[in-house]
Amino acid sequence: MSFDWMKIPYALLTVFIVFNYGLLLGAFIQKIGARAGRRYGIPVWQNYVDLIKNYGQRTSITHGVMFYLGPVFRLTGGIGLLLFVPTIYGSYMFSNLSFAGDLILALYFVFFGTLGMALGAGESGHPHAAIGITRGLSQVSVAELPFALAVFAVALQYQTLSVTDIVAAQQGGVLNWTLFTNPLAVAAAMLAFLGSMMRPPFDVVIAPQEIPIGPPTEYHSAYLALMQTNRAIFPVAKMVIYMNLFFGGATSWPEFAVKVFLLYLFSAFVGVCFPRFRVEQSIRWFLIWAVPLGVQAILWV
Amino acid sequence: MVSALHIITAALAAAFLLGLLKEQQRGLAYGITLLTLALMSWISAGWLWTFASTGTAAVEIFTAGTEPPFAINLRIGLAEAALTLLINLVGLLSALALKDTLLALGRRAMAVWLVAVMALSGIVLTRDLFNLFVFFELTVIASAGLVLLSEHAKNDGQALAAGFKYLIVSQFISAFLLIGIIFAYHATGTLNIDDMAAAAPLLGGGAAQAFALAFFLIFIAVVAELKPFPANGWALDIYESAHPAFSALFSAATGAAALFAVDKLLLIGGDAWLPMATGIGIVTFVAANLLALPQTNDRRLLGYSSIAQTGLILAVLGQRDILGEHTLYIAGGLLLSHAIAKAGLYWLSGLIAERGLEAWAALRGQPLLIFAFVSFISMLSGLPPFPGFYAKWELIHLLAGEGRIVLLGLILFGALLEAGYLFRWFGYIMKREAPTEVVDNVAHKFGAVFATLAALAAAWALSLVWGELAGLQFDRFNMLLALPLLFALAFLLLDWLPVWVKNSLAIAGLLAWFYLTYTEYDPLRMIFAVIFLIGGSLTLLASYHEHGRRIGFYPSAMLMFAGLAMLIRATDSFDFFVAWELLTVGSYFLILRGKHSEPHALSYILFSLGGAFLILAGFALATQGAPYFDLAALADLVQPLAPWVFLLLAIGFMTKTAAIGLHIWLPGAHAEAETDVSPMVSGILLKAGLYGLIVLLLTMGRQDFYGVELINAMLWIGALTALIGNLLAIFQEDAKRLLAYSSIGQMGYAMFGLALMNHLGWLMALMFVINHYVYKSMLFLSVGGVAKRTGTRQMYRMGGLITLMPLSFIATLIGIIAVSGVPPLSGFGGRWIFYNAILTAEARLPMILIFLAGPIAFLYLFRLIYTIFLGQLKDEFRRVKEAPFWIVLPQMIYVAILLVVAVVPGLVLRHVDAYLNHFFPNGGLIWEGTTITSQFGYWNPVAIMIIVGVIFMTLFAWLLFVNRRAQKVKQFNIVFSAERPFRPETTHFAWNFFAPYRKALGFLTLPLVTLFWSTMTDLLHTAGDLARRFYTGNGQTYAFHLLAFVVIVYLFGMGVRP
Amino acid sequence: MISLAQMAMAAGFVLILIGFYGALTQRNLLRMIVAFSLANTGVHIVLVAVGHMRGRTAPILDAAVPVADALTRVIDPVPQALVLTAIVIGLGVTALMLAYALKLHARKHTLDIAKMTELKW
Repeated sequence: MSFDWMKIPYALLTVFIVFNYGLLLGAFIQKIGARAGRRYGIPVWQNYVDLIKNYGQRTSITHGVMFYLGPVFRLTGGIGLLLFVPTIYGSYMFSNLSFAGDLILALYFVFFGTLGMALGAGESGHPHAAIGITRGLSQVSVAELPFALAVFAVALQYQTLSVTDIVAAQQGGVLNWTLFTNPLAVAAAMLAFLGSMMRPPFDVVIAPQEIPIGPPTEYHSAYLALMQTNRAIFPVAKMVIYMNLFFGGATSWPEFAVKVFLLYLFSAFVGVCFPRFRVEQSIRWFLIWAVPLGVQAILWV
Repeated sequence: MVSALHIITAALAAAFLLGLLKEQQRGLAYGITLLTLALMSWISAGWLWTFASTGTAAVEIFTAGTEPPFAINLRIGLAEAALTLLINLVGLLSALALKDTLLALGRRAMAVWLVAVMALSGIVLTRDLFNLFVFFELTVIASAGLVLLSEHAKNDGQALAAGFKYLIVSQFISAFLLIGIIFAYHATGTLNIDDMAAAAPLLGGGAAQAFALAFFLIFIAVVAELKPFPANGWALDIYESAHPAFSALFSAATGAAALFAVDKLLLIGGDAWLPMATGIGIVTFVAANLLALPQTNDRRLLGYSSIAQTGLILAVLGQRDILGEHTLYIAGGLLLSHAIAKAGLYWLSGLIAERGLEAWAALRGQPLLIFAFVSFISMLSGLPPFPGFYAKWELIHLLAGEGRIVLLGLILFGALLEAGYLFRWFGYIMKREAPTEVVDNVAHKFGAVFATLAALAAAWALSLVWGELAGLQFDRFNMLLALPLLFALAFLLLDWLPVWVKNSLAIAGLLAWFYLTYTEYDPLRMIFAVIFLIGGSLTLLASYHEHGRRIGFYPSAMLMFAGLAMLIRATDSFDFFVAWELLTVGSYFLILRGKHSEPHALSYILFSLGGAFLILAGFALATQGAPYFDLAALADLVQPLAPWVFLLLAIGFMTKTAAIGLHIWLPGAHAEAETDVSPMVSGILLKAGLYGLIVLLLTMGRQDFYGVELINAMLWIGALTALIGNLLAIFQEDAKRLLAYSSIGQMGYAMFGLALMNHLGWLMALMFVINHYVYKSMLFLSVGGVAKRTGTRQMYRMGGLITLMPLSFIATLIGIIAVSGVPPLSGFGGRWIFYNAILTAEARLPMILIFLAGPIAFLYLFRLIYTIFLGQLKDEFRRVKEAPFWIVLPQMIYVAILLVVAVVPGLVLRHVDAYLNHFFPNGGLIWEGTTITSQFGYWNPVAIMIIVGVIFMTLFAWLLFVNRRAQKVKQFNIVFSAERPFRPETTHFAWNFFAPYRKALGFLTLPLVTLFWSTMTDLLHTAGDLARRFYTGNGQTYAFHLLAFVVIVYLFGMGVRP
Repeated sequence: MISLAQMAMAAGFVLILIGFYGALTQRNLLRMIVAFSLANTGVHIVLVAVGHMRGRTAPILDAAVPVADALTRVIDPVPQALVLTAIVIGLGVTALMLAYALKLHARKHTLDIAKMTELKW
């Protein structure tokens, strides 16, 4: 197998663009949320500041090997996910490293970072970390179901698991998007999307407003910085998948920026409108509202 | 050749001679008794040898210098010689076991003993109806006399009462017999059985009817001697109260003689009477086994079992119209199995001080006696390699060939009940607390021990003989001579060696067998061969950590491996079934070794035997009367038979893979097994069920069962199993139970893959086979190692062990990544193939369950690694060491395997992929360089590994750089709600880990299946318990039962007859 | 016209029934044994009655009955032989039962069959 070494700088470029876009987007969405709550909100460069501060912190402790490796796993998961999926359709430069695997690889690689960070947080010995992880796992196990069904429906629809081929099939007009050719699948997937974005009503996993809880509880300084980096990249990577599967992909960076922004806005929009679910409530919610849509989707393909 | 008449004359002469001795010369009298019995046995043995070796016809023996009908004649043939040998030997050995009693009672008792044995031989030999009556009466008198004589202070007159009840019933029986004989004589003018048989069919009109009535009386009287249900209360009381050595004779010899008498009578009556014999027999068989379930007294239990076995043989005799020339082989096999086993068990019971079943725990510490016990109950249950197994096989096949399905079902049901209480009893022996009084004075009870061991020897010798006969009759190989089985049995003899020697031998044996046979396997079988043999020896490495001798482990383990080895080489149904039974039994013994595994091992063996019976029935239906068939011929079956066969076989195999509904045995059995046994029974044994399903699906494929596509049903079962297995796993507190439930889920996936019936589905199933072996063996070993060090399997009691047991942690980490299917490890390949496979599947709804099951796996896997290795270390475990070297070593090998398979899955898979093209030509994978391409997608394991590795290492280096001053802190140095925690117990979040999940989906984990099965067993027990109250203990009630029995049989039977 | 044989047979069956009835209803061991003796006697009478043939002589081969025409002139000897044996056996069984009754009484101080039900189920 011949490997085109130029792919490496191209891939790094993708990571760099997405990283910056993610940082800005995150802050921007935060600000929108704040404004909806009649607050002023953070400046858009706030994430850069936090990142630099965290990298610069001098105090640093470790609870053990897995604790140390947790953020590494986490960020590897985010970057890997981004790189296993082509970002810009039709562009060799930004097809990234998608030769390594298809959609299934991306879907399962999501768990790589989650698992690693869960293990790292686990080693900290902090019960709140473990509680957050059980909540997160419980919720995601059911939130993934409608998404999996939607993916199955889409794969059946296009008879392929290759992301590139799926995007290719949606070219030639907005009406070719999966959104319109298979609305049920998209509906199911978008509900699942809410569950995976760590925003209300499904944010009990990290419960940001109250006592510190959730996997990051014990993480600080450079660890936290790595995780923040991931928090910039990972959601975008995930939305790239959604974009590719359901919304016709992106043929250029501006298109990419708009689509990702709108997707993000969707979860933020729902987030500011609804209060938080407890875990068992969200499990029931997904099973009752999202799963039937997914079932319909695979039956009607 | 000494005339067989001397069997009778010798006994009579000796009995008279004893009368001439002085009362004090007891030793002499005992010597004469033994000598006489030995002489009688020798005469029988001589005849048996003659008949068996030369095949000469039966010999008539005339008495009083005239021929019948003017004088009585006897006959000795092969069956007679065998039976008299059995009777005389049982008489001899029982006399040995009775030594103390006989010496105490003196010569009169010995004379009565001789007469009893003589009378039983007479029943077998005589060809005269009235003579038969005389011998029966002699038996009754002698038996009652022995009971009377052996009455002693200990049992408070119970034996006396029992004997009297026996006499009451026998009075009725003899009245029937006499009246019947005289009218039969009146009708035919002869008392000679053969003459009467010749004359009877010639009778016409009223004479025929009168003769039928007379014959009915004779027949029912002799059948009543077989203690048929419900007219058998008296016999049970005798079994319970008499001296066990007498009960041995009463069960083994009396039963055999009476059965032979019935056989002779059926000669007279002809085929018209066969249904009656069958009916009585099968009702007795099922009812007695049912009533035996709630028994707590060992001897009464054996009594019920005797009655049941006799009933079974009676039913077999009733099937002679279809069994034809095989009747002797089948009935003989069952009868000898029953007689030897039952006599042996009664002799054994003479060594046990108390009568409760639990008291038999006293046998523990006597490996030889335990082996005898196991051999006996295996014999009774019809397990290979004992004669009963061959007999059952032939019987079921012939019955199925003639379409006698109801009878077939009842026989198997009864046999399952019987296996149930026998194996439950064995569980008591191995696991219950032994009474303080160990086997009392083994040296003193030399006779009983000797008799038991003689029965043991006879049992195995007979197995050899029956195997040879099977070879002659049906062209089958003698399974006792199969090399793997011999190898396993050899460990019985080597059990005195230390563990490391035996372990090395076992490993060498497995590898050598693989080396000898590896050329024979196609790629599909090769996978299983590698897992069973190479994988088995890898797992056995862990056994090196045991010290001492580990009695019983190696024979059991190697029996299982022998079964597995034979299973994949089996090409026809018989070989396959033999192997299946062997691996079942071997694994049962293995599982039973766990400390608390008694109930779980029992449910395992019951589910497995139930499954095996279904398989047997399926095979039998498929052959349509032929003794066996090529497994490939399953493909030739057509409607309407084919779906039934498919259904039976599939359910049978699914008991082994623990499909939902049949899964309740698995968690306990796998969790309670010993550390190195769990990986064997989980990682290796479960694959046997999958192998069965593969063979089934390869040959039979899709079957339509009244409009239901069976393969679709299997798809649903697989999906449901995957979901429920995974769901139950997340709520377990016990680490090994968690893994066990996870196995259920994994097997569900594999079944699902097979049921997809497409190329990739199968590839996925096979990948699961390999992966599941590797990671489940690894996880069980590491968890087992942890449990060994910490002394608990409750995960919430552990925590923070990562630094103390780093290697176990690494194994678990790799294991859970592989199980969960996260790239880059090998589990991902399975998921990828799975998605590709379902894209071509027809049914889509089951996918929902599978999709839900997948992420749930993360929950329990995280729980496993977190609650054990991460979180807070407990004070009591601060000094825990890494697991023993020999337990860690295989884990590290598995880690290496997982990593290799993750990078180059093609190493194994592409051969299988290519091979699957024979069966599913479409939809294979394309292997180009390191990229694997399917119809829908592609992946490149090497690239994934490199990419992930590079990113990971880069980031790791970056973190190391920016975070180089990181300082290791102590356990409680955490931000904890403004307090500083100090108790790991309250800080370690582990118990009821997924509480929200239980709130949301807990209703799916209600133990409905367990409830169903326990209700079933409770129902059976309650039915048995209620029904047995019918035996009030009153002799008159028993007599009334007898009369009612006669009337009912008459009403039913005469209606049935033409 | 009812022949002697038929009458004997009827009487025999009546005896059997009486005996059986007694054996099933009497709770005293000794009475049961007596009942069985009655039934046994009935059986023996039936046996003899079946063997009886009108107008024939006893099966003793002597001057009165030459061997040549024995078959037509004597009654069937076999039932008589059987009866003799049956009587002997019946005697043995009765003796045994009496021995049992004796021992049971010595042990339990009762002859009531209904009180000997320790073994059951």
